[in-house]
Amino acid sequence: MKFDTVIMGGGLSGLTCGIALAKAGQRVALVSAGQSSLHFASGSFDLMGYDAQGAPVSNPPEAIKALPEQHPYKKVGDIAALAEQAQQLLLEAGIGTTGTATANHNRLTPLGAFKPTWLTTEGYVTIDGDKLPWTKVALMNIIGYLDFPTKFIADGLRNAGADVEIKPITLPELNEARKSPTEMRATNIAKVLGNQEVVTRLAAEINAKAGDAQVVLLPAVLGIKDDKLAQLLKQQITKPLHFVATIPPSVPGTRMQALLRKRFEALGGMFLNGDKVVAGTIAGDKLHNVTTEKLEGTKLVADNFVMATGSFMSRGLVSDYKKVYEPILGVDVDYIAERPQWTQNDVFDAQPYMEFGVRTDNQLRVAKDGTTLANVYAVGQILSGNNKLKLCNGEGLDMLTALAVANTIKK
Amino acid sequence: MENEMQLLNISEYNFEQCLKCSICTVYCPVSGVNPLYPGPKQAGPDGERYRLKDPKFFNEQLKMCLNCKRCEVACPSGVNVGDIIQKARMKYASHKPKLRDQMLANTDLVGSMATIVAPVANFFTSLGVSKEILHSVMKIDKHRTFPAYASQKFETWFKRNAQSKQDKYAKHVSFFHGCYVNYNFPQLGKDLVKIMNACGYGVHLLENEKCCGTALIANGLYDQARSQGESNMSSMRSAISKGRTIVTTSSTCTFTMRDEYHHLLDVDNHDVRDHITLATRFLWQLIDEGKLKLAFRPDFKMRVAYHTACHMERMGWVVYSTQLLRMIPGLELTMLESMCCGISGTYGFKAENYETSQKIGAPLFAAIDALKPDCVSTDCETCKWQIEMSTSVKVLNPISIIADALDVEKTIELNKNH
Repeated sequence: MKFDTVIMGGGLSGLTCGIALAKAGQRVALVSAGQSSLHFASGSFDLMGYDAQGAPVSNPPEAIKALPEQHPYKKVGDIAALAEQAQQLLLEAGIGTTGTATANHNRLTPLGAFKPTWLTTEGYVTIDGDKLPWTKVALMNIIGYLDFPTKFIADGLRNAGADVEIKPITLPELNEARKSPTEMRATNIAKVLGNQEVVTRLAAEINAKAGDAQVVLLPAVLGIKDDKLAQLLKQQITKPLHFVATIPPSVPGTRMQALLRKRFEALGGMFLNGDKVVAGTIAGDKLHNVTTEKLEGTKLVADNFVMATGSFMSRGLVSDYKKVYEPILGVDVDYIAERPQWTQNDVFDAQPYMEFGVRTDNQLRVAKDGTTLANVYAVGQILSGNNKLKLCNGEGLDMLTALAVANTIKK
Repeated sequence: MENEMQLLNISEYNFEQCLKCSICTVYCPVSGVNPLYPGPKQAGPDGERYRLKDPKFFNEQLKMCLNCKRCEVACPSGVNVGDIIQKARMKYASHKPKLRDQMLANTDLVGSMATIVAPVANFFTSLGVSKEILHSVMKIDKHRTFPAYASQKFETWFKRNAQSKQDKYAKHVSFFHGCYVNYNFPQLGKDLVKIMNACGYGVHLLENEKCCGTALIANGLYDQARSQGESNMSSMRSAISKGRTIVTTSSTCTFTMRDEYHHLLDVDNHDVRDHITLATRFLWQLIDEGKLKLAFRPDFKMRVAYHTACHMERMGWVVYSTQLLRMIPGLELTMLESMCCGISGTYGFKAENYETSQKIGAPLFAAIDALKPDCVSTDCETCKWQIEMSTSVKVLNPISIIADALDVEKTIELNKNH
């Protein structure tokens, strides 16, 4: 099969690149080996939350200037312009967000902390600065729901200046769902609450419990496919409603995955679900084709290839006792040779292995045995030189590197 | 460190690779509609940790697993969650197949008997009173429409009308038709013969085709499934030795013989697996290699919505059927969002599963009814039954659509030189 571009990896970076290229009229195939880490998404997009010293960042494009030259952000060009392009891409896929690249706001984490972020899905709790705009908050707690530590979240809200009351709520359907306690997770609750009639009764239950609070907060358990039911609930609740991100699997993340894939396919992209690229044929300094586990003999031939296979958890990178390597093409990887230096003893310290990844040139092209491959790019978490946990920049890195590569390929 | 344990895969089905991320639970069609099912993570890798210590931790509710394998498609770590669940059922289930399960599972035997008395059988299974009896005595749900039995088996038709003409072709394939083509819908088999012959290929039956065994596995008749599997492998080896590819028109039969034989039944298929392929894939690959051209009727017009059957998704072969359909100039193809229709072979026929089955399929039925296509196309016959019963739209295998759209004379002409 012949394409203009073949993308390996179906998460945020792969889909962003795929959408940008398909929109420009390219024939794009995307091979996705299992579902992506979007399923752990908070509902917010971080561009750069903290600097290298751990201080909160308010203006990411400014703060990025201080990053070392080998950092992937230094290879993408105009950060603010790409960030705007990313927000527009999300909007066109049906993911409305608030926020802007040059002024971080704070998001509420599933454990009740406030952290700086770039974009937040519409309808989720955000604050500018560190004080909540409300004094009295009703925090809804679904009885039997395991992944929502209400005490931590209430403490976080109280520290931000609000008076919080935790209100247990339930419905017959939710009670029934408790028969399977292990399935009382955000995404499964979203399925149980997945029709208008149930949402209407949920609204009545919330209205009855909200008391004299100014605002109602609900765990993000609504809208696994789109945000229609969340909108319906908002209309029916007498007070302003905001969602609080939950522990994964994440409802907004699952929805984003579905919406981005839908957008990619609507633009003519071919999404090979549950398959993985296993090998490639390199001729000279170019990759000619790749083969997949499921399509066996069928070669995916393309002018350009993008590796968006993620880091260790997504298996874009693999480690063993002696080395760190990229398992598909065996392209060059930056890592420390001495294994004892891969980690720091304190788990909260910056872990060196977080910065391991594939080596790229200034156009984000990968190399094999020291030779740059002219038509193979890397985007997202597979890139070397970034610690997304310390800098809080995962989604920004995914989307901005993907857009930068799409722009290069389009030329 | 000395043993370098990390480098060893120490379990079957990549069990130890599970990171407990729970993504499989998002895509399980059952756990979202039926809380009695513990979900793929709990039923699969989590439960397996306990079962390895003591089989008493086996939960009979695992029979509610559809074996759709959508958990495996979703898993980012390559864990064969569905296989872990099925294997646990095989190893530990105390529940024995009932007469009802035997009947549903023995598609071969029941099909052979029913085609002999097809009008009577079809009349009987369509009667309200019979449905009540089946429901209350056999626990086969009364809401179900039984697939009608054909009065002439595909094999009988083939031997009488087609077999003698097949040797004149220069190239040959063997056709594993499956129970559905043989007993319920011979037309699909006739459509395949029409296409293959037009492309210059003779079509042959296997020496001794048996049901692939998927319904036997689902109903706990493992020994019978294994022996039928061994028999099919032996028939196929004989066809392969004549240089023939084995083509199929059912995604589930194909998946069962390629993957489940080895993964679940310990039937050795390593030398046969790569020779079994869906007819759509076979045709697409020939076209891609420049060895085949298809010509279509200029007056053919159809709005088709493609439904991705679960085992088709697991095989990763959707692209072949849909790319082939897209080659038909007058065909407008819409992809339905990939989700389970709820029938899962014999699962949805059982009274205790009917409600779950219809709840699972509800979003798909709503999407089809809203789209109102001329037809739905899918590579699975039991999805066809479910969708035809639950929507107002007819369902066709891609092969039947291609056979309908094909310009036979022109196709023969185009491929003369190959």
